[in-house]
Amino acid sequence: MTATPVRPILRAQGIVKRFGKFTAVQDVNLSVAPNTIHSVIGPNGAGKTTLFHTLTGTLPATAGTIEFDGVDVTALADHQRVRHGIARSFQVTSLFPSLDVRENLRLAVQGVHRLAAADGWLPPTGPRARRELVDEILERMGLTRVGGLPAGTLSHGQQRRLEVGMALAARPKAIFLDEPTSGMGVDDIGGMKALIHGLRGDHTVVLIEHNMGIVMDISDTITVMQQGRVLVEGKPEDIRNDARVRTAYLGNMITGGAA
Amino acid sequence: MQAIKDNHQWLMALAVVLAMPLLIDSGSLASEVLIYALAVLGCNLLLGFTGLLSFGQGIFFGVGSYTLGNLLVRLDLPLAAALPLTVLAGVVSAVLVGWLAIRQRNVYFALLTLAMAQMFYFLAYTMTDLTGGDNGLLGVPRPPLSILGVELLSLESPWQFYRFVALCFLVAFWLLQRVTTSVFGRTLLAIRDNEARAAAVGYDVHGLKLAVFALSGGVTALAGGLLAMMAGIAPLSSIEYHSSEMILVMTIIGGTSNLFASLLGAGFYVLSADWLSFIWPRWLLLLGVLLMLVSLYMQRGLWGVLESLWRLLRGRRGAAPDATQPEQRP
Repeated sequence: MTATPVRPILRAQGIVKRFGKFTAVQDVNLSVAPNTIHSVIGPNGAGKTTLFHTLTGTLPATAGTIEFDGVDVTALADHQRVRHGIARSFQVTSLFPSLDVRENLRLAVQGVHRLAAADGWLPPTGPRARRELVDEILERMGLTRVGGLPAGTLSHGQQRRLEVGMALAARPKAIFLDEPTSGMGVDDIGGMKALIHGLRGDHTVVLIEHNMGIVMDISDTITVMQQGRVLVEGKPEDIRNDARVRTAYLGNMITGGAA
Repeated sequence: MQAIKDNHQWLMALAVVLAMPLLIDSGSLASEVLIYALAVLGCNLLLGFTGLLSFGQGIFFGVGSYTLGNLLVRLDLPLAAALPLTVLAGVVSAVLVGWLAIRQRNVYFALLTLAMAQMFYFLAYTMTDLTGGDNGLLGVPRPPLSILGVELLSLESPWQFYRFVALCFLVAFWLLQRVTTSVFGRTLLAIRDNEARAAAVGYDVHGLKLAVFALSGGVTALAGGLLAMMAGIAPLSSIEYHSSEMILVMTIIGGTSNLFASLLGAGFYVLSADWLSFIWPRWLLLLGVLLMLVSLYMQRGLWGVLESLWRLLRGRRGAAPDATQPEQRP
């Protein structure tokens, strides 16, 4: 008797994404187990971010099916997938720069509720301010002190944290983080790593990350992509010792980090 | 106190509405200011609150003129019924135009609205039965405002008409103030700031843009209708591209950071047009220079200038600049 495998929260099958004649993602299958950290790594141009875009609905897939939490979400737009429990952060910081940090988070919290934004009469006060959740995320992201500042005036590290906080605000089942540490200083990276690791209790995390220290330390599963396809998938220690991965990375980037 | 704070924009508009009869001799000129201010409010909703640069506001303005004109001239409807129908016609035409235009963003969005402005112009030009073609729809009357046969307000003299326009303006302004500070209005700001992120956190960006388009079309059509009543004619020029351009220029000159700026922009344009055209027929040249100055040095418009002056007067020069707008150069 074998143990029954855990039912994956995300199952993408045969994902293809073409831009004109260029195929960015070629027949990718991806299964993500709930409450795990599943990293997608690969050299630049491997198609990681494009795969992310198709999974979160930012871009429609050319072919393939995406099942999330038992629902076929393939045909849904990004804003509709949010309501099924998918939230994402962006590789390039993408905030509401003229609005203050609290308002950024409030808008992200409110986005999950289908018709909330249709209220053209009442201001976002009282229960509509969604204060509790906003405060909680500010606290968790270490942004409480700057809650009243326009998001565009924050430091890069703070903006990256807000970027992740915006995704958390939806209280998603699965959170897709696209290079959350990109451009971060060494001092901030440790904090971000601990933060992502801590998410595993309440969420499923799908992570694109270049920092091998982070990937090797906190991932449960790693999928390596190369030229639009899946090269290998496995636990961190398997990936570290895989000859094909070493070749793909020219042997140098994969050595960092302790298991 | 909170009520004053929440409504301070509307109260400033009220002050202007009350002051105009004391400062301006002509009731028609004062009415024109408020009528264009209504149209500019509609444009500001799109440009200032949602980040949509529409070159098609003249469509809704013209649709308003023709709708109200036809309802009064041909169907002889009472004003209390004709006005809401005019607003509805604006909403419907804006949903049509918006439905197509919001499929694209930025330059292509602007181009689509421009193309449709041309189309609607030629439609109006050819549908002479409804629009009077080149001559315009003549003989638009000014019936009194009455409900169930009881006359509430006569609109015969220019200042009587001004009272009516002021009423429409203040009601519309208050409603728009309510809408722009609501959850819906705050969400529009998110779309203005970053459309991709707004979609990523769960907002139906298309639906929200269409809703604000409808709103903008409604208020702009109301303005167009009122202008037809004031002039006694729904002219072809009301739906011409020039009409779109004028509304857009007033919006930018006034400023797009709040609703009161729209009244400033319309007032400045209409009054200076009136004075300058009397002195110098080529006054539009000066307006061109002003527009350049606004684009180069005062992107927050006349409202931004007033705000800076106010700060200067209060000796708060060191105060933090308003981060919601691009910084002004010294």
